[in-house]
Amino acid sequence: MGLRAGHDQIYFGRWRRMEANSIDLRRAYHQLERLLREIAVALESEDLPAARLDLGKAIDALHASGPGEDGPEALRHLDHALSYAHRVIGDLLHEKGLPPHSPADFAGWFDAGEVPFREDW
Amino acid sequence: MIPLDRYPKGITLRDDARAVLRPMISKDAEGVWNFLRHLPEIDKSHFHEDVDRREVVERWAASLDYDAALPILALQESRVVGSATLYRNRTGWKQRVGIVRILIASDLRHKGLGTAMIREIRHLGEKLALNYLLAEVIEEQQAAVRALERMGFEKAAVHRNFANDRTGGLHNLVVLLHPLSGLEK
Repeated sequence: MGLRAGHDQIYFGRWRRMEANSIDLRRAYHQLERLLREIAVALESEDLPAARLDLGKAIDALHASGPGEDGPEALRHLDHALSYAHRVIGDLLHEKGLPPHSPADFAGWFDAGEVPFREDW
Repeated sequence: MIPLDRYPKGITLRDDARAVLRPMISKDAEGVWNFLRHLPEIDKSHFHEDVDRREVVERWAASLDYDAALPILALQESRVVGSATLYRNRTGWKQRVGIVRILIASDLRHKGLGTAMIREIRHLGEKLALNYLLAEVIEEQQAAVRALERMGFEKAAVHRNFANDRTGGLHNLVVLLHPLSGLEK
């Protein structure tokens, strides 16, 4: 599923690093916007009200961050939007009977040293 | 009416092992009893009755009422490896609140089964137009607390020395709430 790859590209993007600049944040905003659009298309044919609710929250968080904004608030909103998006992708995978997705499994592809996220229950 | 047409539902865990989710039926008494009695002691503390006693589980199985308590089981072949129960009040001021209890076999933990069960209960909560899901977890069960939080539950309270286990030991009880879209209607 391309949504997982799209999620991970953003998850491991430069915008979350200490050296990130406003261009990185703007790029992340637009990548996330595209990802949420793709998720909305995938959700259209599914009867998943909880996932729809999360998608709405993701879109709200994305809009709260604003395309030209930077600073810790914008970063926080983008981070929330990505978390909601991940939950929706998880719902879609669950619905199709596929294994859960954990970005940690793909950290090596993105040259990421440490991943704070683990599916642990 | 509870929408149960999605069952049986196949899922895949992190290690690619498969499991099937479906509502408990009366014939599951033996499997559920085996599952419950092998749980860690702390997990059994939730129950009002002694789940090590077979007749207790047999009585539950004989009196299933999905409108009051809907137990969704996770099975591998014929073995019960997890359960997620959604409790509801049919009337009264908490009729839009679903109470959640999720139990996972010790050897199936950290494979995503608990999270899959939370997803299932969230789905049912939405289909039943509930306003909130409520989960109570002993504070030591941090993996469960984290998984619930990642799935949208928010810590509403931590009651100190609130819950006692079967040996009399006291534990902090974490209460978590998940707002559902019924709230917005």
